[in-house]
Amino acid sequence: MSIVILRIAALLYAVGAAGYVVYFARPRHREAATFGFWVLTAGFALHAAAIGGGCAEFGGREFFTLRGGIELLVWLIVGAYLLLHRIYRLPALGAFVTPFALVLLVPALFANKGHPEVAPEMVRSPVLALHVLSAMLGLALFGIACGVGLMYLLQEREVKGKRFGALFSRLPSLDVLDRLGQRLVRLGFVVFTVALVAGSVIASATWKTPFDPQQVVFIAVWALYGLMVQLRHSGWHGRRYAVLTLVGFFIVITSMVSLKVVPGITRHAGNYGAPSRTEVPQ
Amino acid sequence: MSGRELFLVGLSHRSAPIEVRERVALSGDALKDALVQLKGHDGVGEAFVVSTCNRVEVYVHAESDQAARAFFTSRSREAGDHVYVRQGVEAVRHLFRVSSSLESMVVGEQQILGQVKEAYGLASAVQAAGSYVSRLCNRAFATAKRIRTETEIGQGATSMSQVAVELVEKIFGDLSGRAVLLVGAGKMGALSAKALAVLGADRILVTNRSSERGLALATQVGGLFRTWEELPRLLVESDVVIVSTGAPSYVLTGEMVHAVMKARRSRSLCLIDLAVPRNVDPACADLSEVFAYDVDDLENVVESTQEARRGEAIRAEAIVEAEVMAFARERETRAALPVLSQLRRHAEAIARAEAERTLGHLGAKLDEKGKKSVEAMAQAIVNKLLHGPTTRLKEAAASGDGTLPGAAADLFGIENDDRAEAHGAAGGGDGGQPGGERATASSDHG
Repeated sequence: MSIVILRIAALLYAVGAAGYVVYFARPRHREAATFGFWVLTAGFALHAAAIGGGCAEFGGREFFTLRGGIELLVWLIVGAYLLLHRIYRLPALGAFVTPFALVLLVPALFANKGHPEVAPEMVRSPVLALHVLSAMLGLALFGIACGVGLMYLLQEREVKGKRFGALFSRLPSLDVLDRLGQRLVRLGFVVFTVALVAGSVIASATWKTPFDPQQVVFIAVWALYGLMVQLRHSGWHGRRYAVLTLVGFFIVITSMVSLKVVPGITRHAGNYGAPSRTEVPQ
Repeated sequence: MSGRELFLVGLSHRSAPIEVRERVALSGDALKDALVQLKGHDGVGEAFVVSTCNRVEVYVHAESDQAARAFFTSRSREAGDHVYVRQGVEAVRHLFRVSSSLESMVVGEQQILGQVKEAYGLASAVQAAGSYVSRLCNRAFATAKRIRTETEIGQGATSMSQVAVELVEKIFGDLSGRAVLLVGAGKMGALSAKALAVLGADRILVTNRSSERGLALATQVGGLFRTWEELPRLLVESDVVIVSTGAPSYVLTGEMVHAVMKARRSRSLCLIDLAVPRNVDPACADLSEVFAYDVDDLENVVESTQEARRGEAIRAEAIVEAEVMAFARERETRAALPVLSQLRRHAEAIARAEAERTLGHLGAKLDEKGKKSVEAMAQAIVNKLLHGPTTRLKEAAASGDGTLPGAAADLFGIENDDRAEAHGAAGGGDGGQPGGERATASSDHG
């Protein structure tokens, strides 16, 4: 049932994204952006219902699958965008973030809903919930920062290449994009740190064995974004920083997908309390 | 001829040199006096005058263009040789084009609409503008607004300093907390620095080899003068640098800017080189976070804007044409209405009288329902009889044929004051309307 609701939400996202794209193509039609915003908001609400429904059906275990993970991530990206829009009023950003979120959601719409056997008491642990939510929110913020970085690179190309074409007038100023990207990275890093702390609490309580691949990746991503926050303090900005936000998020997505696609590579896919590889039938 | 129509007599930057324009241009009280004088002329119903630095145009709703011509010849004998005259629909079209800035030196500029609005406001204030001018001007304003929203005629920068402002805005957003540095005392540099003031720069710094001219420029643009020796440090402090010196070689070399960027820790730097020969080494543009532009870059933007606007102007012309047609049609239908309503009133009076007479004879033989039927029948005969003439009168009026309403009045023996006006106004529209438009108008009804 929840998958049906999710698909309808995805449809609303598509309509909302279309609104934003129309606005971007024809900026005189501000109403297209307004329309996009409200349709996106409706999609967001429906998406929330789909997640709630999924929780009721699977008891929270679905968040440990690729489908559930992406579903949650996209929901948070859309939510964060809607919030950002209320603060910054950058409908041009919507033309980048919403199609991106939609594409990201596609595998979740058709992926196998297989859900691993996570011990129910684990799922209900508030620390685990905090870990999952903050990790995903951190990633969502990194994702939007990536969209902002892309906008920066496009605008920089226009400004520096003396093109002054359609993008030049539609995209916000380099300064706005640079500062927004930086804030998103910084905020995302703080939230991700919370996830790291919560995660290590659970890990030390659950497993006796040292790190598995997912934990290594998690720490690597955390360190990467920590480095970006640090680089900013030592004067990195502009083009180089925008490239970093793109590279960073590309690493996040590829590792996230490969961790889920390669069977049994991580004990996070279930099999709690035991070394994972031995139990996966090859 | 008793009919009044719109006449325009004017001169503009295209038809007359500045020496002539300045002799006839008016503003304030002098303009008010001139309007009162125009209105006082025999045969002038309404008048208004658009007077800007690029054009002086006198619009009169009158029997002839005599008063409007006199406006010019009384001020300068020479002006008579430079004026253009338009009449009827042509004059309406001209006003719509002027308000929409299609006649302006810089097509798509925004000021002219405000100036026409002002002209109308002034004419209303001294009662020189009445109901005709009011309808005309409101239609002109609506046309200009439609063009501004439906086309992109107002988009883009049309001067080098405006381009500089747009560029800086896309790099830094606003300039609060940032400094603009002016290197050299060139005129274009000063202009651009002034234009950048809209972005709210914190400080303007000025440096020049000769401190005398530098100081003078600093006072002019409201900036602080710094000696030429401080230049490298100033480059580190500032975010936007406008260079316009008379130096024959690069004032800012690649190595120099490279060192500056290191000292700035790569904070973005915008270099605008307005000098010819160039003062900024083109190699600077290759440095990371350096945005460098020369005169050609800015000129190219201005040119592409103008090209884009020329394209949009074609769409704008179509809108003007549609609005002119709509205005003319509305006028003429309105002019035919008095005859129509008279005709209907006349016919209904006869029908009512005849119905009453019949009912008086039949009286007692009819019940309430029967009486209603007789009244309804009389009314139906009126409607059916008048349907054809009504349609044709409206059609004739819309296509600019002024003879039919008059003929109808004669035929039905209607005597009223509206007749002369109706005939005249409709006939007036006929005078200025080319045959092609007439065909379009009647095909609308067919």
